[in-house]
Amino acid sequence: MLDRYLKSRMNDAKRLVQDLHKYYDYVSVLGSAVHTKRILVSSHLHSIDDVDNECGFVIKVYKDGRYSEYSCDDIRDLKASTVIKTIRLEEIYSKDFSVKMLQEDEHVEDYLREDPSGLSDKQISDRLKTVKDSLHKKEERLINVSAVYVKRQTSKIFVSGKKCLSQKYDWVNTMLNCVVRQDDNIKSNYSSFGEADSLVALDKLSDKAEDILDIAVRMLKAKPVKPGKYTIITDPSISGLIAHEAFGHGVEMDMFVKNRARAKDYVGKYVASKLVNMYDGASSCLSAASYFFDDDGVEAHNTQIIKKGVLQTGISDCLSAMELGTIPTGNGRRQDYQRKVYTRMTNTWFGPGEDKYEDMVKSVKHGYLLCQTNNGMEDPKNWQIQCTASYGLEIKDGKFTGEMVAPVVISGYVIDLLSSISMVSDEVTVLGSGMCGKGHKEWVYVADGGPYLKAEAKLG
Amino acid sequence: MMKKSEILACLKACDRIDGYEVSLIDKDSRELFYVLDHMEINRAVKVRKVTVKVYVNGKDSVGSSNVIVTAADDEKTLSKKLLNAAKSAKAAQNPYFPLSEKGKDIRNVNKKKRDLNKIATKVAKAVFKADTHSDGWINSTEIFVSEYKEEFLNSNGVDHVNESFRIEVEVIPTWRNGKEEYELYRYIRTDKEDYKKITEEVEAILDKAKARSKALTLKDVKLPEDIDILVKEDMLEYLVENFADDLNYRSAFLKSQHYKKGDLISNTPFDLTMRPVVSGCSASSRFDSHGTVLSPVKLIKAGKANGTFGDIQFGYYNKEKKISGDLKVAQLDAEGVDYKKRPHLIIEYFSAPQLESDSGYWGGEVRLARYFDGKKYIPLTGFSISGNIFEDIKDVRFSRKQTVSTRYKGPEYMIFKGLKIA
Repeated sequence: MLDRYLKSRMNDAKRLVQDLHKYYDYVSVLGSAVHTKRILVSSHLHSIDDVDNECGFVIKVYKDGRYSEYSCDDIRDLKASTVIKTIRLEEIYSKDFSVKMLQEDEHVEDYLREDPSGLSDKQISDRLKTVKDSLHKKEERLINVSAVYVKRQTSKIFVSGKKCLSQKYDWVNTMLNCVVRQDDNIKSNYSSFGEADSLVALDKLSDKAEDILDIAVRMLKAKPVKPGKYTIITDPSISGLIAHEAFGHGVEMDMFVKNRARAKDYVGKYVASKLVNMYDGASSCLSAASYFFDDDGVEAHNTQIIKKGVLQTGISDCLSAMELGTIPTGNGRRQDYQRKVYTRMTNTWFGPGEDKYEDMVKSVKHGYLLCQTNNGMEDPKNWQIQCTASYGLEIKDGKFTGEMVAPVVISGYVIDLLSSISMVSDEVTVLGSGMCGKGHKEWVYVADGGPYLKAEAKLG
Repeated sequence: MMKKSEILACLKACDRIDGYEVSLIDKDSRELFYVLDHMEINRAVKVRKVTVKVYVNGKDSVGSSNVIVTAADDEKTLSKKLLNAAKSAKAAQNPYFPLSEKGKDIRNVNKKKRDLNKIATKVAKAVFKADTHSDGWINSTEIFVSEYKEEFLNSNGVDHVNESFRIEVEVIPTWRNGKEEYELYRYIRTDKEDYKKITEEVEAILDKAKARSKALTLKDVKLPEDIDILVKEDMLEYLVENFADDLNYRSAFLKSQHYKKGDLISNTPFDLTMRPVVSGCSASSRFDSHGTVLSPVKLIKAGKANGTFGDIQFGYYNKEKKISGDLKVAQLDAEGVDYKKRPHLIIEYFSAPQLESDSGYWGGEVRLARYFDGKKYIPLTGFSISGNIFEDIKDVRFSRKQTVSTRYKGPEYMIFKGLKIA
């Protein structure tokens, strides 16, 4: 059910839109109420908290070719004159510049997607505690387990001259981190699971708990990889990391506006091997970034970015689309109501191929299966890669040798990596538990994933 | 939004809780967003964030739970939230620790009236004053000028106020070399209206973008083995934080610390001191998130682990006699060396500096470095460096030149040997 408070402010939003229309050519009001509950059960601590909750509004106006915004906590008693006075600049330091005004179609709709599992805090805490206790029984070197459950309930309203929208959607993440210690050697391994249903997210955590611990223990003996070029197979999390960091950021079209993305010059050209298809969109699958309309009030899309190796299009928010003369793709997102909209990825993933995972492993003479996203950083202008896998498993003559390297940094030139993809597995997994910044800020929830990919890459 | 007095009245009326902490942060901000030298959008932000933490005691334990108070709350909804939080706190019990006791309240109040829109425009002028090149330009600029008022209160009568002012500028310069364009990234944070310095910093990052456009790769240049590698800025802050985190009460409690008092960290006799306030460090604060008034701690003395610091919860668990509070700013003191006489490699810019505190792995992809071959500096790009900080710190050296950043004051460079270059 839509947040009661936002519902109570719907008429205030309509009033503000009407009042401000006397002074501006375009006006919209976005209301956002996010409730996030976090339950932590670790070896040493237990907590049940509200975290990152927010509730507030953004008023967006347009006049004389330029947009302005006002972010505030409440609009009940907010007067149009206050908005005008606060956002008015006495001096506009800028070269002449004009953006087209948003053109909207009539759209009135309410959307709803809720977590079907009505679990109590105690039930959730007990599930997490069972996982924690079972792992401690299994391994003496385990010095800390953190089992975490986070449920985010998002309600938004969007009101403009032609639109009146509301949406409520839930998403659940569970996460397990195991820290093991042998003398001065400390290693940790984690995994997280994003689901629309609390029960499924908790089940996955329980099912994978021992595997997560086993990897942490194996990491105690892991060595750094010998720098060089190798054949790699990426697991779905690393495939997703490459889709997101190496390529996805470069097709965010606010980067096209700023001429900050090399991809702008590659639309219609090969950027990857013919085996590669790539998608992004809040409606492309059900995952962490599956909403019904974006923070510009644009309905969710499913955009095919790469088709058989050829770059088709980028993704955009409204402002970028207005500047580029394109159609917005429902990718306008804010970190929260205090922040500006940017073009942001949502659920970003490589499409499936026709190869079997087992055949891919058998085909490797010497290389690594790279697993578990650690981190990554984009470079859309120069397409340099930095993606880090938590660990890699050595493959020789088509078989795993039992040797582990950790961590593993993949570097090089994006197009070289994508063009070297020679096998693509036939099953796709999208992992809905990530967060993404733009540059070094503006964090939003995202999902990414794909099949297993076989490629050539520089590791270090 | 509920007033402070109304929130406190709800807390006092809730008989299920044994203690509370309240944090109120008011933010008033003006923001300008530029594409090239065109202002695309301007924004104003006037918001308040209120977080209440309630505590419920057990026999030898205590539980806590956070409540975020939003504009949607009134006396009725907040009272209900507090009851739910009390229930959560009762269920999630941890070893007991006390709340901060009332001592001298902090009153850091700034009476200066500022016109934030005007300051933002002045900052924009300062940024674009550096935009004077034909082959290089500022592609994207975001300017944030903000005033913050932070208040902290707890059920023991602690009542602190801290007001602060901040200018933040994100600048992305581009430099053209033939048909290719190269960009870099810079985030400037300052609490001073020093427009000249902003122009200088933008000029410096444009110079770096120019260097990146001319940078060679390791295919073109053979580096001497065992070359001195100098790291700075974000990476240097990460490395310092790593040792600070290791000597935090929390790490000792979780048994994840690598060092205990007296352990040799480095053969280089440097000192590392955590301080509440260091001039020029915008993370400076006189109190922490539990309201504890911060006091300095010498964590590392002459290269050996010397002290620990942290918040009241983990300090109490570890039976610390004097609890320092959770300090955020580090000052490093060391004798500097003259690195300029020998060939060396200065890492100007990592794409994303990495450091794993458990294993000590650190490094990253280098977007721009400067290699001094004994005669001249050669810009380099497209390689990565890596090492293990627990080993590499043993023979670290430092530059004589000093720097001040968000959370660090000390030598501008840390100098390492034996890092892997790939």
